[in-house]
Order: sequence, then structure tokens, then C-alpha cells
Amino acid sequence: MEKNKCLRLTATAASAALLVCVWSATAALAIDNDACMECHGDNMLARNESTGMKDSLYVDYEKFKYSVHNVNGIGCVDCHADIDKLNMDADVPHSTNLAPVACTNCHEDVAEAYSNSVHKKASHKGVDIPCYACHDYHDTSRLVSATVSERQNSFCLKCHNPNKFHDWLPQKESHFALVECTVCHAPEVPRHVNLRFFDLVDNAFLKGDVVMRHLRTDPEGFSELIDRDKDGTISPQEFEDLVLMLRQKEIRGVFHGELVAEINPVVHQVNRGEANRDCSLCHSSTSAFFQDVRLVFDMDDGSVASYNVDRQALQTYFVAFNALGTTRVRLLDKIGIALIAGGVAVVFIHLSARLLTIPLRRKNKNNPEA
Amino acid sequence: MSQEYVHPAPVRVWHWINAFAFVLLVITGVQIRFAELINFLSLEDSVRLHNWVGFVVIADYALWYIYYFSTGKIRIYYPNLRTFAADAIKQAKYYGCGIFKGEPNPHHMTADNKFNAMQQKAYIGLMFIFLPAQIISGIFLWQVKGFENYITMLGGIRIVDTIHVLLFYFFATFMFVHTYLATLGHTPLAHFKAMFTGYEEDH
Repeated sequence: MEKNKCLRLTATAASAALLVCVWSATAALAIDNDACMECHGDNMLARNESTGMKDSLYVDYEKFKYSVHNVNGIGCVDCHADIDKLNMDADVPHSTNLAPVACTNCHEDVAEAYSNSVHKKASHKGVDIPCYACHDYHDTSRLVSATVSERQNSFCLKCHNPNKFHDWLPQKESHFALVECTVCHAPEVPRHVNLRFFDLVDNAFLKGDVVMRHLRTDPEGFSELIDRDKDGTISPQEFEDLVLMLRQKEIRGVFHGELVAEINPVVHQVNRGEANRDCSLCHSSTSAFFQDVRLVFDMDDGSVASYNVDRQALQTYFVAFNALGTTRVRLLDKIGIALIAGGVAVVFIHLSARLLTIPLRRKNKNNPEA
Repeated sequence: MSQEYVHPAPVRVWHWINAFAFVLLVITGVQIRFAELINFLSLEDSVRLHNWVGFVVIADYALWYIYYFSTGKIRIYYPNLRTFAADAIKQAKYYGCGIFKGEPNPHHMTADNKFNAMQQKAYIGLMFIFLPAQIISGIFLWQVKGFENYITMLGGIRIVDTIHVLLFYFFATFMFVHTYLATLGHTPLAHFKAMFTGYEEDH
């Protein structure tokens, strides 16, 4: 947990520093995205003689707009850094022989982690898997609150068919739906559980703005409203109160849980034969994978509201996330133990009475008349 | 002392398969639910064994069902509604009091009237409600995604899991109490012997 906090703080500081650098660089170059989009916004724009991976030079600005880079103020020329000026009088306003974008200039820690992965090692066999093969060129998405399906469809499932290799795995379809690939395949990555509210009336995940509007609050006020003891964690009781508050607003549903990997460079360290196959790493009530539980809401402005939740909330009936053993409802065990104890007690009392009354039965047998 | 053939071979086969399968299901079930406390089998092996043994129980239930319905012997499970209440009270009095004094069992076991009133009540619930509920919830939990629609109809995975777990505790308790009650024959091992030979000694 401490380690996670450290990582998050480091990541935040690094992002802030990066933003300052990027802002300065962008200001100096003074080539804004609009200038690039004048040509690259044309979906017919293409390279005639291509030796690269793609021919089209079109950039879908609607997608780029919500990409993790643009949201953080990183513009076209921050990555395409060898464009320092545009000559709008020329056929092509910049050099046609641009260097490939070097993601590692910014993402050094990711590059280091990636170097120890089966995907990077494939280059020895002549298979080059650059960052954008998985992350895409311009619509590199924000993954903090992405669902398992969004994460997998955007990455692993582009190349891999998990159905080919997981026949040993019980409930494999459920695992594919609720557990991100890297939770098992990147053994070093920190994991956490994301909880989202699923509206049973609308049959869809409820947007954060809708929840906040109904509760007449905002992401900051939400924390104060729900986390009444101000300990930074939503306790099971506070969680139950949240459900009741939503019900009073006629919002009925359950919280869906998913086990996902932290957005951390080591998530790239996927290696052949190193995946976790010990089921009890997840499926035990003390599993480290379930220590960090977060309630997440996607907001309309692209941000994510995230709140820490006590893992015991997973053991309530408000959460539709049944990880065998891990999220077991303790009340059932108490009922079960009472049932078994009752059975044992009845047997013990009856057996004792039988043993104590042996002389009585002997006497009655010898004197049937009595 | 005469002998009466009350447990035909198919019933004995069904009973002992069921008994061993239930022991395995309870052991693997405990391992699956309490992986952090117990470690005598890997979770992967426990789940696989639990699933296979579950299907053995289903096949065994089919054997019981087909045998009892095809022969018409299923009647021994049906209580006589006119005498049921009085018989059950009489039987309860015997277990709670008469047995200690050495009084004879008010129920006389024959092939056509094998169960006393209390057994009829217990077994009809077991075989027509509890065991089918455990089998169905078990099948749903075996392939959660495949039976997603049915699980949703029942109220979700948590509800199905709750049914399965509560019945698991019930059956674990039942097995313990059932084994003890089996010692209440005219000798402690008489009913156990009969479940192997088929013959109950009429004492």
C-alpha cells in the first residue's frame, strides 16, 4: 500500500515536471495542433510511397482530443519533435523524412521495464513490437478507470486468443471478463479492485456525473458525504449507507468488481512461463491482490473520481463480485458453524444420555415386567 | 431374530457412492472456501475434483431417481398424511425418551415401509428439494458465464453462492447426524451392516 502511494506520488511529480517541460517546449515552438490538423484532419491524406507501418496520415482529432497525451497538454510537435517549423507554402510543410516518435524519451521507466518482456525479446527473432502496436498512434487512451474489457480489447486481444491457452483455468470466461490479463501475466505489477455502479434499471454503468447530481454533490463533496469518519476509506457501513442513499433516489443496482493492474511500468514485464498459476494468490480472504479496493466513477470531462473502499465491502451483498474464497460472506460461515455445532451438540447430548442410561436399559431388560 | 431384505443392490450402490462423494465434496469445498486456512490440496486440484465429484453425485441422483420411480418404490418416501403427524410424534418420543429406557422402536422396518415418519419427512425434503437445489446451484457455479442468464434470474451470483454454501453446511451437518443416527439400531453397527448386505435384522 505504502509502495503504491510512493509510486503514485512519484508518477504525479514526474507528470507535473513533464507538463512544465512540455508547456515550455510547446510555447517555444509555437506550432499548435490546429496547424497540424489543417492537413492531417483530412481523412484522405496518405503517403504515396510508404515504407512504414501505415499509409494513412490522417489523425482523428476527436479521438486524439481525449487521448491521455492531449488531456495532459502534450501536442503534436512534442512527440514529432523534429518538426521545428512549418513552411505552409511548400507541398509538404515539413520534412517528409521524419524520425519515428521515440516514446522512451519521456517514458524511460517504461522502456526499462519493457526491455525485460517477451514482447521486446521478440526483436531477437526479427519481430519488432513498438509501443504504438499496442497503444495506438494518436488515441492512446487513459487507462486508470478503463474496464477489463477495454484494457484487454485495446491491448492483448489484438494479437492473442486467450481461448487457446487457458483450458486448465476453471471459469475461464469469468476470469477473462473480470480479471485483466496482466494481473496474472505480469507477476510484479501491483493490482487493485475497481468497483463501478451498475444501474439495473438502465442496464448500464452509471456515469459519475449522474451519481453526483442525484446526491447533490461533486467528486470532492462525495468523499465528505460518504466517508463520514474522514479516515480516507469507505467502510462497509458507509458503503451500505451509500447504497441506501442511491435507493432513496430511485437508483437501484449493484457494484460490479474487476481485478485490474495498476498503471505502472512493470505492467510491461510479461514473460513466457512466468504467469501466476497459483489460484490461492487471488482466492483467499487474505489475498494481497484484494487489499486495494477503489470505487471509480467516470466523469463527463474525462476525469476519474476514485475513492478507497475497505475490502470488507466486497463481502457484502451489494457487490456482485464473487471471487471464490476471497469475497466470501462471513455471515454464512457463522450460520454454518452454528449449524454444525448444533448437530454436534445434539449428537453429544444424545450419546451421553445413551451411555448414562445403559444400567437402566439392562435393568428393564432383566425385569421386562417392570 | 428374522432378517428382512430392505436395501436392494441399486439402493446400496447409490447410497455408498453418494456417501463417499459427499465426503469428498465437503473436504474439497472446505479447501476451496478456506484456502488461507487449509492447505492439503491445491486450489486448482480442489476445484477440478469438486467439479468431477459433483457430476458423480448428479449421475448417482439419476440412478436413485430412475430406480425408485421405475419400480414404484418411491412410495416409501411419501408420508401417510392421515397418520403422519401422530407417527412423527410417537417416533420423536421414542428417540427423545423411550430409546433410553430400552423400549422397542415404534416403527417396524419392512421393504415397503422402510422409513419412519421422521425419516420420511427428512428424506423427502432432502431428495426433492435440498439435493436438487444443491445440484442446480452447483451446476450454475461450475460455469458462471455459461449460466449467466439463469443466475441473473435467481438474483445474481451472490444469491446462488449463498444457496450452495448454506446447503453445504447443512449437508455437512446432516452427514454427521445421519452417521450417529445409524448407530441407533439394535446394535450400534446393525444399520451399517445392513447397508452393505441389504438385510436388516428384525430384532
